[in-house]
Amino acid sequence: MKKQLRLALSAGVTFGIVTIFLFLIGFTGTSGDLLADLFGNKSAAPLLGLTPQMINMLIFLALVGLGAGSYGARKSKGQTDDPWAPALIGGLTAGLVHGILVGLLAVLIGTLNLNHVPVNMYLASVLPASIKMFLLGRSPVQGAILLLVLFTLTGFLGGLLSRGVGRGSWRARSMASWKDTWDGFNQKPLIKQVRGNPATRYVIYGVLLLLVFLVPLVAGQYWNYTIGTVCIYVLLGLGLNIVVGLAGLLDLGYVAFFAIGAYTMALLTAPAPQHLMWSFWIALPIGVVLAALTGLLLGAPVLRLRGDYLAIVTLGFGEIIRLLITSDAMTSFSGGPKGVPSIAGPTLFGLPFNSGADFVYLIFLAAILIIFVTNRLQNSRVGRAWEAMREDETVSRAMGINTLTQKLMAFAIGAAFAGLGGALFASRNQFTGPEDFTFMVSVNVVAVVIVGGMGNIPGVIAGALVLKGLPEVLRELQDYRVLVFGALLVVMMLWRPAGIIPSSRRKMDIEKDTGVPGPPKEGGEK
Amino acid sequence: MTIALETRSLTKLFGGLTAVDSVDLAIEENSIFSVIGPNGAGKTTFYNCITGFYEPEAGDILFYGESLVGLSPDQVTYRGISRTYQNIRLFANMSAIENILVGEHSRIRGSWVEAILHTPRVVKEEKQAVDKARELLNFVGLVGLGDQLARNLPYGAQRRLEIARALGSQPRLLLLDEPTAGMNPHESNDMMHFIRRLRDELNITILLIEHDMRVVMGISERIAVLDYGAKIAEGTPAEIQGNPRVIEAYLGSGAASGLNNPTPQPA
Repeated sequence: MKKQLRLALSAGVTFGIVTIFLFLIGFTGTSGDLLADLFGNKSAAPLLGLTPQMINMLIFLALVGLGAGSYGARKSKGQTDDPWAPALIGGLTAGLVHGILVGLLAVLIGTLNLNHVPVNMYLASVLPASIKMFLLGRSPVQGAILLLVLFTLTGFLGGLLSRGVGRGSWRARSMASWKDTWDGFNQKPLIKQVRGNPATRYVIYGVLLLLVFLVPLVAGQYWNYTIGTVCIYVLLGLGLNIVVGLAGLLDLGYVAFFAIGAYTMALLTAPAPQHLMWSFWIALPIGVVLAALTGLLLGAPVLRLRGDYLAIVTLGFGEIIRLLITSDAMTSFSGGPKGVPSIAGPTLFGLPFNSGADFVYLIFLAAILIIFVTNRLQNSRVGRAWEAMREDETVSRAMGINTLTQKLMAFAIGAAFAGLGGALFASRNQFTGPEDFTFMVSVNVVAVVIVGGMGNIPGVIAGALVLKGLPEVLRELQDYRVLVFGALLVVMMLWRPAGIIPSSRRKMDIEKDTGVPGPPKEGGEK
Repeated sequence: MTIALETRSLTKLFGGLTAVDSVDLAIEENSIFSVIGPNGAGKTTFYNCITGFYEPEAGDILFYGESLVGLSPDQVTYRGISRTYQNIRLFANMSAIENILVGEHSRIRGSWVEAILHTPRVVKEEKQAVDKARELLNFVGLVGLGDQLARNLPYGAQRRLEIARALGSQPRLLLLDEPTAGMNPHESNDMMHFIRRLRDELNITILLIEHDMRVVMGISERIAVLDYGAKIAEGTPAEIQGNPRVIEAYLGSGAASGLNNPTPQPA
């Protein structure tokens, strides 16, 4: 009992801190506005002296309170089968603690406000108006008591609702019935036939291809731009996936190769500062090859380093490339901090690509090519050697793998993909400058690989969609975009630590659909 | 009789410490040869010198007459020496069959260009490699477990998979580092039997580091004893068992003199 109370207490404290944080960054007020946007009751008449915004904020706070209660209840319920009493006590305790913490904050902030202390000088988001709203237009003590009551009640309610959730029996039962339905569905002869038929795969590919063809035509300028960005991140992600996900070399300066691809395209095709104005199609392969060569040149000295040391050296390299571009010495060569404008777009048989959709097709094509190449490499002798190096470098040497050449190859191929991405990126934007190649790009690409699922092609694609696509969708949230995005990332890493689509092994021992029963699952005690 | 591996006054120093002290060994082809010694005697360092992870300060290592000194580990493997580890070191997140395929790395040649283009040669080679890996799984008794992740296999299976991976490189000499560590008597009997099969059926020369004296005495044809890096004895199991210097190294000088003079002398 004592331990359960302590757990409920800590749940309450956690939620108290979260709520206080949300208030201090001004999210409680905004949440009210967001809910009003959703349900459209912005202009309703005041009720019980509460403005519609206050009511919306209360709804949001009540939801948080429910969360605190159910979390506390589940924590304190522990392993016992009789959930009622512990759940209710747990929910109540968590709610009470939650309410006390928030109430204390309300009293403190409210009193400061009454005494005309300019709180918003220190906490920009805590304006007098939002304090008034938080206290529901009442005095600090009254407001605090109301909040305390709100959180205690919702905590109790949350405890009530959480009854049966988690290890509860109904949940297990419903999961089992779902699984039965799914298995039954898979056992049906027709479904079995469709699943086992290789033609199914081609049909799926065909549908996907059709989608790829149709989407750019339907999507507008803005969405085509976003799709293009996502696909370029797929290229970068797949390239870094070879380096980090397969070969296990943490490269934090990956943006350098992206920059080399982009600047090769820029300097070879733009009228200034080099006056070369070559064709896109000549500049593209040169960009790829130059990036790969840079990968080899950088790799040769630094790949003897392992782990953290390699990460730091590559990070430095990424910054060096960017600083070189901006430096005075290079200004006449590379355009300096101003960047390079008027980069050529591709032409096909003399016809320029003039719509956004055309370029999306080109990027799609590049992405498909890279996916194909990555897939082939991954399932080859070379790909296995990379993965063996990631797992245990010393042993992989003892197994006859020349780790230095294999690392160089991984580095060069990863760099080539980034070069391709960079060249396409510069050409599409028709402009490139040093601010396109900050450290954040490297971080984003590493995040694409890790969030998506290391060493896994569909995972990387999903990662690029989530990390570059989701922020665009979240634009509705305005200022809180990055906050919500960060929260989503944290939740995702808790929920799926191995990435959205974790890597799985290709089956090679037992052929599919031969009717051979699978091996018995051995206990994973080791 | 051909000599498979020979070391001539092999010496490895770590700073002031002599880890391997001018060791002379000659291992006959197709024999089972054990290296024993107390903890820290330099056995594993000796292995690391042979496999190219350490470069010896002095002496020579000859494998079928060819010097291995200065070769990198992958070159040594290519010449036909493979090894297992004292603490199992599989590629934990790869499947069992992939582990063996990595072992075959030095015996297949497909480059990255061929892999991308799927040239007929590389497709055929890959198919042969997978067949060979299945065969090895079969040989070590892991039929049907090939698609399991290495880390999910039971302990005994992991030991055998490690040997299968080492066999993937088609070695002529196999270095086993405590293959029966952590096994019960029944399991180590199986392992002894299995090591004999390796020699008899695959004609591989076996060099063994082992602490379990029952195993060492049971399967070795010759035994060398290291102590503080130096070889203090070499001979057949019977000779080693009766050698006072060996007993001294293992049990201390008092024990050895006790064995020689069963009645204690008055002080």
